Amino acid sequence: MLRQLGQAVVVVIGSTLFLSLLLRLLPVGLAEIYAGGFDEASRAARLKELRLDKDPVTFYLLWLRDFVAGDFGPIVSPGGGTTPVADKVGSALPISLQLMFYVQVVALVVSVPLGIYTAYRSGKRSDKAISYGLFTASSIPNFVFGLLLAVFFGVTLAWLPPLGYVSPGENLVEHFRTMILPVASLAIPLIATYTRLLRADVIATLREDYVTMAVSKGLSNKRILFSHVLRPSSVTLFTSFALNMGALMGGTLVIEQLFTIPGLGSEIGIAIFSRQFFALQSYVAILAVGFVLFNTLADIAVGFVDPRTRERRRA
Amino acid sequence: MTALLSIKDLVVRFRTPRGLLEAVRGVNLDIPAGASVGIVGESGSGKTVMSRAAMGLLSGSNVERSGSVMFDGHELSSLDSVQVREYFGTGMAMIFQDPMTALNPVRRIGTQISEGLRVRLGMSKKDAMKRSAELLAKVRIPDPEAVLRKFPYQLSGGMRQRVMIATAIACNPKLLFADEPTTALDVTVQAQILNLLADLRKDLGMSMVLVTHDLGVVANNTDFVAVMYAGEIVEMAPTTELFANMKMPYTEALLKSIPKIDAPTEKRLPVIEGRLPNPTDRPDGCGFASRCSYAQDKCRQDRPELEDAGNGHLYRCWYPLGSTIARKSS
Amino acid sequence: MDLFTKVCSTWLAIIAILAVVGPFLPLPDPREADFAAPGVKPFSPGHLLGTDSNGYDLLSNVVNGTRVSLMISLVSVLVGGLIGSSIGIISAYVRGRFDGIVSTLFNIILSIPNLVLGLSLVAVLATSPDPSIPVSSNRRIFVIMLSLTFVIIPILGRIARGATLAWVNREFVVAARSMGMRDKDIIFKHIVPNVLPAIYSVGFLAIGVVIVAEGSLSLLGVGVVDGVSWGAMIARVAGEFTYLPHSMYVPVTVLALSVIACNQVGDHLRSRLDLREGKI
Repeated sequence: MLRQLGQAVVVVIGSTLFLSLLLRLLPVGLAEIYAGGFDEASRAARLKELRLDKDPVTFYLLWLRDFVAGDFGPIVSPGGGTTPVADKVGSALPISLQLMFYVQVVALVVSVPLGIYTAYRSGKRSDKAISYGLFTASSIPNFVFGLLLAVFFGVTLAWLPPLGYVSPGENLVEHFRTMILPVASLAIPLIATYTRLLRADVIATLREDYVTMAVSKGLSNKRILFSHVLRPSSVTLFTSFALNMGALMGGTLVIEQLFTIPGLGSEIGIAIFSRQFFALQSYVAILAVGFVLFNTLADIAVGFVDPRTRERRRA
Repeated sequence: MTALLSIKDLVVRFRTPRGLLEAVRGVNLDIPAGASVGIVGESGSGKTVMSRAAMGLLSGSNVERSGSVMFDGHELSSLDSVQVREYFGTGMAMIFQDPMTALNPVRRIGTQISEGLRVRLGMSKKDAMKRSAELLAKVRIPDPEAVLRKFPYQLSGGMRQRVMIATAIACNPKLLFADEPTTALDVTVQAQILNLLADLRKDLGMSMVLVTHDLGVVANNTDFVAVMYAGEIVEMAPTTELFANMKMPYTEALLKSIPKIDAPTEKRLPVIEGRLPNPTDRPDGCGFASRCSYAQDKCRQDRPELEDAGNGHLYRCWYPLGSTIARKSS
Repeated sequence: MDLFTKVCSTWLAIIAILAVVGPFLPLPDPREADFAAPGVKPFSPGHLLGTDSNGYDLLSNVVNGTRVSLMISLVSVLVGGLIGSSIGIISAYVRGRFDGIVSTLFNIILSIPNLVLGLSLVAVLATSPDPSIPVSSNRRIFVIMLSLTFVIIPILGRIARGATLAWVNREFVVAARSMGMRDKDIIFKHIVPNVLPAIYSVGFLAIGVVIVAEGSLSLLGVGVVDGVSWGAMIARVAGEFTYLPHSMYVPVTVLALSVIACNQVGDHLRSRLDLREGKI
């Protein structure tokens, strides 16, 4: 386990360093962007304030020191002065986390029973029909779902608000009503992916000799499912869950902007539009750290479920 | 005395994209209580399919099964795959060829043995674990308490096979199907396992069906033997009678192909030339004709029926060993 | 190949052909707005699929946009795939510290979610010094291709590396080495032919992913902003589709169908590969 955490730290440092260098080695210098309009005298002071006078490596190390302490850098006001990015993160991150959490929960709740159902009925017409539907759903981009759902349910039927966000603290019912469409847009392709994965896994597991042996012991289908089939079949689902966090992060970028939800995705959009590259660096770093954390946790979970992987790792 | 398991006219066919595959074509077999029966045949002879179909483990939308299977007075062939499980564990049980794949790799040994006890006999978890340890001792595994907590990959092949045997006999079945129980094991371990099975049989008063491709395995461990070829029984006799008075050229060829330790080293190992007939498109006549060193024209045209030679010895051949033509050609 | 796969392959062939012959077809100029017919429905005279609220012909935009969108996808996946696979194969073949470094580098880049990485690269590289002068369309396309290529490199690199690892320990490789074959020949004659099917089946899936990425980037405002591409079309009409839905259905349908087709072909290639390996 220690080795995995060590790997994770290396990867995080590597990716944040990469981002930092990317910014500093821009074709268009950050100095130009942030201090271009200043006159000679105050220019140097401005650059010093933004640490742009330091070399890229020192710049990164200072950034890292601040990042782990929770200081996510400055939002640069064009006239002079800065405001902390941390404020924006504090308000936006929880909203994005809510969105991603809901999506994953909904996706799992639907896809686990659906995957098992289609696996046990594999080859029959119900399975084939569902499989084609899932395949199509997994190929359609999430923003297409977003647009279509927004038009249909938000405008044509006007059942749900097509835009905006209400926090749970203000009004719980409205909160859920504003979240339904964005969550659905992201969850539908994810359900398709998880269901197909689980179905394939369960079908493969059902063919194993130890399942035949379990039948020969006189066990019921239900017992065999829970006792022998679910555990081996869930391994790839864990890994996929973690990997899909990354795709989900990309998805929330688009969906948040589409549905005007003030989460981290929208903030990233604002940062790009208003050329706040320090903020961008921190936002992306947060996402990268989160992603690595998730994958490491998933790896550890797989080790618990499948003891053979544990052994292999120790070897 | 009525047999414990009575198989009549068992036919098993698979619907495949390449046509209807006849794996078992009309098998009749009676297994008395307490007896040990060997079923011998090469890969593809249908012996595994027959034993699984008889027990009721063969399921799938492409399987066609007909014929009667009576176990302990109950007709099993009319039951579906869920109903027939009432007889598993306590009535019939099976041990499989490869203990590595037949044991769940992610669950502990103790859980896998005690499962049957808890579900079929209603034992509590504690009692089931205690009994599991006793079962492990019965199959001669050292330090049973420790083994209960281990995973299959932590044991050797021979130990895993013993665990599988312990799991199968846990609920004291009356009939044990052993599907190639020694094939995946080292030769040195094979004898141990066979002896263990024989002792357990006597101890529990169990019948056993020993399915194998190796005539040597059935020689000392069975009361009578059925030889299968291309989906049907071609010779059946009490074991000693079979080895003393072999009637089928096929059985003779099987026996000859067992390597002998005192054979001269420069000579090639005797093999049976050719292959099994295509199960989706069987030729007329005897299925072994193309590979038989005694084959005549009649063999290739007409399919022989099962004849009785007396002494409980059945055979399916136009020109069995010992008849005039066979002696001339050999 | 079943019927569905055949249909998908045909569709891909069609859009490939459209990408090439698009500009030569007798369609109105995609950048010229027809002020007399803004927001007309499909099957109106002169505009087979209608126009958007500005009067741009939808059919023309979709057909001409195919060129840019496909070009971005194909170039990114081909170049990124070539570079990534080469590195991956060599890395898995050589093993040792080099492999460790390459593997960690791949993981580092892969630790940043794909779209986020692509977005960052494009945002950073496509910035102009003066905010009032936007970056040229061609420059944007180039930057997008570069960024997406970079994103693809570790994706296909990891696949190639994994596939090579599975083959490099097989006996026939050891045998070839013991016969004195040179590494270069072993790689090209033994490893590459076995690894290639895995790579190009994922490659097709990647093309679909990049097509979607181009659309997503445009929706986020950093795509081919004022050019002619599927993503640009979708971004332009995103604001008005509540009252002019057909203007959105056209590019979205074409994009979705293309992604479905890529996925199906990639899936089909992968199952053919599995059969070869003996899995069912």
